[in-house]
Amino acid sequence: MTEKTKSQEFEPRRKSTVGFKAVMRSLFRQKLSVIAMMIIVLLFSLAVFAPLIAPYPPDEPDFYYVLKGPSAKHWLGTDDLGRDLLSRVIYGARISMTVGMACTIFSLMLGTFLGLLAGFRGGLTDQFIMRLVDMIMIFPGLIFVLVLAAALGPGMINIIIAITLFGWVGVARLVRGQVFAVREMPFVEAAKAMGASQWRMMFKHVFPNCIAPLIVAAALGLGGAVGMETGAAFLGIGVQPPTPSWGRELRTGFTYLNTMPLFSIAPGVLITSAILSFVLLGDGLRDALDPRLRGMGRRR
Amino acid sequence: MMRIFHSLLLLVGVVVITFIMVRLLPGDPIRAAMQQNVDLSDKNIVEEVRARYGLDRPVHVQFYIWLTDFIKGDWGTSLTSGDKVTSMFWRRLPVTLELFVLATFWAWLLGIPLGIISALKRNSWLDFFITGGSVVGIAIPVFWEAIILIYIFAVILKIMPPSGYAPFFDDPLKNLHCVLMPTFVMGTHAAGSLARYIRSSLLEVLGQDFIRTARAKGLQERMVLFRHAAKPAMIPVVTIVGMSWAGILGGAFIIELMFALPGLGRMGLDAIFSRDFPIIQAMLVVVSLNVLVANLATDIAYGYLDPRIRVQK
Repeated sequence: MTEKTKSQEFEPRRKSTVGFKAVMRSLFRQKLSVIAMMIIVLLFSLAVFAPLIAPYPPDEPDFYYVLKGPSAKHWLGTDDLGRDLLSRVIYGARISMTVGMACTIFSLMLGTFLGLLAGFRGGLTDQFIMRLVDMIMIFPGLIFVLVLAAALGPGMINIIIAITLFGWVGVARLVRGQVFAVREMPFVEAAKAMGASQWRMMFKHVFPNCIAPLIVAAALGLGGAVGMETGAAFLGIGVQPPTPSWGRELRTGFTYLNTMPLFSIAPGVLITSAILSFVLLGDGLRDALDPRLRGMGRRR
Repeated sequence: MMRIFHSLLLLVGVVVITFIMVRLLPGDPIRAAMQQNVDLSDKNIVEEVRARYGLDRPVHVQFYIWLTDFIKGDWGTSLTSGDKVTSMFWRRLPVTLELFVLATFWAWLLGIPLGIISALKRNSWLDFFITGGSVVGIAIPVFWEAIILIYIFAVILKIMPPSGYAPFFDDPLKNLHCVLMPTFVMGTHAAGSLARYIRSSLLEVLGQDFIRTARAKGLQERMVLFRHAAKPAMIPVVTIVGMSWAGILGGAFIIELMFALPGLGRMGLDAIFSRDFPIIQAMLVVVSLNVLVANLATDIAYGYLDPRIRVQK
């Protein structure tokens, strides 16, 4: 028996380094990503099960407890109208998470579609779409969203539209770049030679190559969208009272910072932990999805 | 040359977009502005005021008139205060400019050395600490960071004013005291991304062959770093510096409100709420012009740092 066959025989079966499982394994190896995922799951369950978790309805005033500190009855105290702060913060997760999810999904859909279109059609279509992208990218995100949301009027749907109209541009640019990277590759050429239609080539052959960067963009985009929404709400644009939202709570809390810091701290901690978790998850996903970095434990 | 032409084209597009966006604002701005002091039931008065602001003409004519006036330096009249937009603008510009310069200063002061340190001490606890800190700096919303700082330094320690402003030339010390916190908050986001990019780009450059050559011929590590690695490592960093300007400008909106600073961001925010469309329009054009110039400067810096780009054009 030669050396070679021996090693082949006794080498333990290697775990696969590609595919969904490998990515998840790599992701779970990073402690920070796991913590981030746990926080995200927690925040989403707060949003979904708010009526079950919250001790009081979010807009029920208790006139004997106005701006009172923590007590056995109200764990985080009460706000300026005597409403239970804990309940309002729990319900506030609904707005931020819904807006974040909706904006990310719509941005991804719009951006992917227009990016694929620009990359594939080329010529005038490409010029038109990419110049539009350039123009929107010129504006600072928050200013663009504020003006647009003010133009559209108050309400959750309008803030979603405003953030989406800003969010799609990054996605479109990413997808278009990816299309250019794989467009001339043999497998696309083969598909073309076999008579695949343009739409089929776009979605069956080129789009799968965009998924990895898009997943990362989705996680980072969620963080960005939550940041925009809370920022706009903090300035008084977007969801209107009495609907509880983190940004608004923080704004009201800010006016009572001297007397009741917990009023600011509760929503502030939640906002920051949400954004931070999405950013960390995005970072972790980027490392996990890049096979060159996989299994190295630490980044670079 | 192509770049400048391209930027001009973009500017025209941006001007058109802002015009459309501002016209989308709901409610007749004149009606909104007059609500307080004019009897709206009198149709004639309403029509007369509309005619004075040129709102009765078709949109493309309005656009032409606005654009020619804007280029001539007449940015219209504020609908709420009745002042000239240009004079309001010049009055408030120094405040925002100061914030902007100092925020950029904070960003560089924190971001550049921290990025270099964490790249050189890679995988040490110091690196871990800096990398973690920069992620927090990127993720934390400006308003929350501002609240934390106000609470610690103004409410508990009482060594910083929670808000307020004094012009620099009236009282330089008080001025700096007032803007210290706001500019720090505005700068940290940019500092975080700066540190991250410097770290990764420096690590990439340090792994390349010419650095090994430089080390092999016996150069001191400091020479290797500043003579050979610094310039190529700056290329991606320049992009971030250019991009972070837009972010700092956006942050000014929130920061000026929270610290009660009488700058352009505050003016813009008030204008958005009161539908004061000449101000909104002027603000959007100025902001985008600013970013365009920053992008152009980035491109020029690229050419300086990487001769290959200069040759390709």
